[in-house]
Amino acid sequence: MCTMYCPRPVVDTYNERLDITRAPHIDYAQAIPSSYYIDAKACLRVNYETCNLCAQTCTAGAIDFSQQPKELELKVGAVVLTPGFGRVDDEVLERFGYGRFPDVLTAFEFERLTCASGPTEGHIVRPSDNQVPKKIAFLQCIGSRDETCGNGYCSSVCCMYAVKEASVAKEHEPDLDISIFFMDVRTMGKGFDEARKRAQEKYGINVIRARVPRVDQVDGKLALTWTTGDGEHHSDLFDMVVLSVGLESPEDAETIARVTDIELNHYNFCRTSVDSPLLSSRGGVLVAGAFQGPKDIPESVTQASGAAAIASELLADARNSQTVTVTYPDEDKALEEEEPRIGVFVCHCGVNIAGVVDVKAVRDYAGTLPGVVLYEDTLYSCSQDALKSIAEKIKENRLNRVVISACSPRTHEPLFQETLRSIGLNPALVEMANIRDQCAWVHAQEPDKATEKAKDLVRMAVAKARLLTPLDQPTVDVTPSALVIGGGAAGMSAALSIADQGYKVVLVERSKELGGNLKRLKWTLDGQDASKVLKDMIKKVKAHKNIQVFTGSQVESVSGYVGNFTSALSRQGKTEMINHGVIVLATGGREYKPKGYAYGDSTRIVTQLELEEKLARGRGFLRNARNVVMIQCVGSRGDDMQHCSRLCCIQAVKNALKLKELKPELNIYIFYRDMRTYGFYEDLYREARKQGVKFIRYTLDRKPEVIKQSRGIKVRAFDELIGEDLEIPASLVVLSAGIAPGENEELSKIIKAPLTSEGFFLEAHAKLRPVEVAVDGVYLCGLAHGPKSLEESVAQAKAAAAKATIPLAKGKVAVAPIVSKVDQDKCIGCGICESLCPFNAIVLEKVGKRKKAKTITASCKGCGVCASHCPTIAISMGGFTDEAIMAQIHAFSPEGCEEA
Amino acid sequence: MAKSGAIMVLGGGVAGVQTALDLSELGYYVYLVEKKASIGGVMAQLDKTFPTNDCSL
Amino acid sequence: MAQQNVVKKESEMAQEGFEPRILGFFCHWCCYAAADSAGVSRYQYPPNVRVIRVMCTGRIDARFILEAFRCGADGVFTGG
Repeated sequence: MCTMYCPRPVVDTYNERLDITRAPHIDYAQAIPSSYYIDAKACLRVNYETCNLCAQTCTAGAIDFSQQPKELELKVGAVVLTPGFGRVDDEVLERFGYGRFPDVLTAFEFERLTCASGPTEGHIVRPSDNQVPKKIAFLQCIGSRDETCGNGYCSSVCCMYAVKEASVAKEHEPDLDISIFFMDVRTMGKGFDEARKRAQEKYGINVIRARVPRVDQVDGKLALTWTTGDGEHHSDLFDMVVLSVGLESPEDAETIARVTDIELNHYNFCRTSVDSPLLSSRGGVLVAGAFQGPKDIPESVTQASGAAAIASELLADARNSQTVTVTYPDEDKALEEEEPRIGVFVCHCGVNIAGVVDVKAVRDYAGTLPGVVLYEDTLYSCSQDALKSIAEKIKENRLNRVVISACSPRTHEPLFQETLRSIGLNPALVEMANIRDQCAWVHAQEPDKATEKAKDLVRMAVAKARLLTPLDQPTVDVTPSALVIGGGAAGMSAALSIADQGYKVVLVERSKELGGNLKRLKWTLDGQDASKVLKDMIKKVKAHKNIQVFTGSQVESVSGYVGNFTSALSRQGKTEMINHGVIVLATGGREYKPKGYAYGDSTRIVTQLELEEKLARGRGFLRNARNVVMIQCVGSRGDDMQHCSRLCCIQAVKNALKLKELKPELNIYIFYRDMRTYGFYEDLYREARKQGVKFIRYTLDRKPEVIKQSRGIKVRAFDELIGEDLEIPASLVVLSAGIAPGENEELSKIIKAPLTSEGFFLEAHAKLRPVEVAVDGVYLCGLAHGPKSLEESVAQAKAAAAKATIPLAKGKVAVAPIVSKVDQDKCIGCGICESLCPFNAIVLEKVGKRKKAKTITASCKGCGVCASHCPTIAISMGGFTDEAIMAQIHAFSPEGCEEA
Repeated sequence: MAKSGAIMVLGGGVAGVQTALDLSELGYYVYLVEKKASIGGVMAQLDKTFPTNDCSL
Repeated sequence: MAQQNVVKKESEMAQEGFEPRILGFFCHWCCYAAADSAGVSRYQYPPNVRVIRVMCTGRIDARFILEAFRCGADGVFTGG
């Protein structure tokens, strides 16, 4: 209402200034908090003390202009900085025509154009003439990898979002001709390279490796000129140009740094180090997300959980000292057992439902249904006031079943269940009829039919509500300890974090000593002595009173479920059983063993890690060396394994610089496909070029050859720029062998944790649950998850430790009440249910002389496969009983349908 | 001096929200501070996410 | 992801303006969620289906489908 009456238009920043809203507005329908707010800069009342229309029209009386800014003083034990990233200056964008030519957009703007709820409802049109463009160009690295604007770093996300936006655009408009201009294609995340390749093939997106220096306008079209790697010049006209703008440090970075007294790096991001990536320069001030360095969503989410772990380590003594515990009144069992007294509340959801469905007619119809004693309509059922009023009405009318006819139970059922609990009713006694998401919103043009459908849905919900029964809210006690499998950098970091948070850890390592791949590393990527980092870590692990280390040991079997696992560990032929509440998988990976490239034929053909081992022993082998050749993507990116190994580019550049430092006159050649020195590591790449390291691009169909001769080694490769083969006599060939998964198959079977097609462990959700696996109580970090740097492994280990500690800290795990229950009198012990259950949640146990099925409540996910296949109908599903579903089916018919 | 069991998280984008959720589950009180009127940050402005093209909201 | 079994009665099909009544069994985790997001995106579709939410299509007993037809459904949609 307020938005409707406000006379003051303002640009809609949520829609990247492509749309107009009013001073009081909400950014988007699903915004949290879900209340409207007033843009104080534009509001007439705030600035000129006139107007006040909105306050007068607000039916809820929610606009109060007498509010003043308040200063709060909060006492906190730690601070986590997650301010995100800022925007690249318009000045930089103007060089590429932005602001001068209307059809040059930023990728953020283009994102809003492709969005169905955006300003054009998902239609891709040119701002200049509202016509659908035919040819679109995406320009990468705008405001990134560009020293002229002060941003020498790579923003690490733009390559992915450009491919995404191009794919989405092609889905909207299949005839679009889209070209993406990359300097390097940097899709180095887990599964990203494969996804990029698929998108390129599926949608026919042109990939051009060139940097476009400027954008011109010619006859209403946008003209681009560029030079490809073979030295050829090209030019073409496009209808639209999208600038893939990078991530800038947050605009108030300096203020944040001053207020919190932390140091920034030379790009104004938070300064951190490789071995503790989430610590700022000040104790107790932690950092996560893009402020630590440009990064994508999974990396940000991982760091966020990691920062939570560190705060939890610091404040372990004060755990639960300031949390608020919600208490509930006892359930009124007598009322619950009475004949159903049903209340139906039909929600307007503002105009969302009432704009289409005749809410009052639905309400009155509900009153005619059997068992209904109260029927009302509410403006917004989910608002605090409405919930209070619903609670009061339930009490007044002694209701024992409630039907909320509103939106989706997926989003709102917990809220109404909470309302029931707060007044002493079992939360399972509420049922929802979804007349918004699956009715009003999707039948906006047919209000009569939508109203009919809403009545049907309410009738079916009431039929089910009559048969709802209270369900127990079971919880299981948790064994307060963790099993960490793998004693490399990730496993040790996770173990230390859990132990520092106050819980016992058993750390199992297969080999004789701790350390994993870190043992072979000479320098970390930021130049620290890797062996010192390792030694410190091992010392802390061994000295920690909460950590018990089992080296030379393996996990033989795991049984149980979250909170109560029992595992068998074998060491030197002996087996030991341990009980624990959670599992962290940190089994690591290994350096790929190169095939071809004459690997193994000479001690002068080595991998990057072997080079570091050589260098750790001394520099003698460099005495007579003149030319060093490094070859990237050995084994990776479709050479043998499909994935990109993520860190080899950075590792190669790091080692090249170290070699240059040891012997400046060395000629170093690096043959690469795309240099993926993402984030701040772009600095190393630039430095290497500055120091004369020669970078030569190759393609998979013309791979460099390593030829072992009687005297020495020769590398032959095609140089795109001169268009000829090069032959380099090499004193040393270093193969950037990628990262291969460890031997995970057996453990995957033992734990039932799925693997990717590559053989790494699969996370529960790539974006939002990057350190959890599909099995509850099992968490994942390090190379076992996929290739990554030490810094990323440590952050991920902390994140896994945070997630693993949650059940330990709670002490109990709640089990959803929607579980199966076996009536053992009816059960004939056939075992069909046991064989079908996908979660091993049903077992056959001996009862007297016969076998009977029994549900392991904590493992059950409530899918109901067991119930639907039970030949004697002995299994019932909480909240979804046969009787309740049958009642819904019978109520499907408007005239009613008698039982057969 | 006894440590405080409360933590301030500065910034309500995806990282801030995730930190706040995890900390509250770990038994700490969280002050989540955001400049704008709603949380979610830039992720809430995204239409889809790479590489699965899932809705981002 | 979804299978559609629309049983059309020939006599009714012949009549002009036949509107089938379809009963849907939607999996909470996928099809029901998809139907919600269709709403969030304001996709429009004909108002012929009534939905019963189940926690998994594995919950669907063959009896449910037969019962639906007996109660006058012209089609049953299972989505999971």
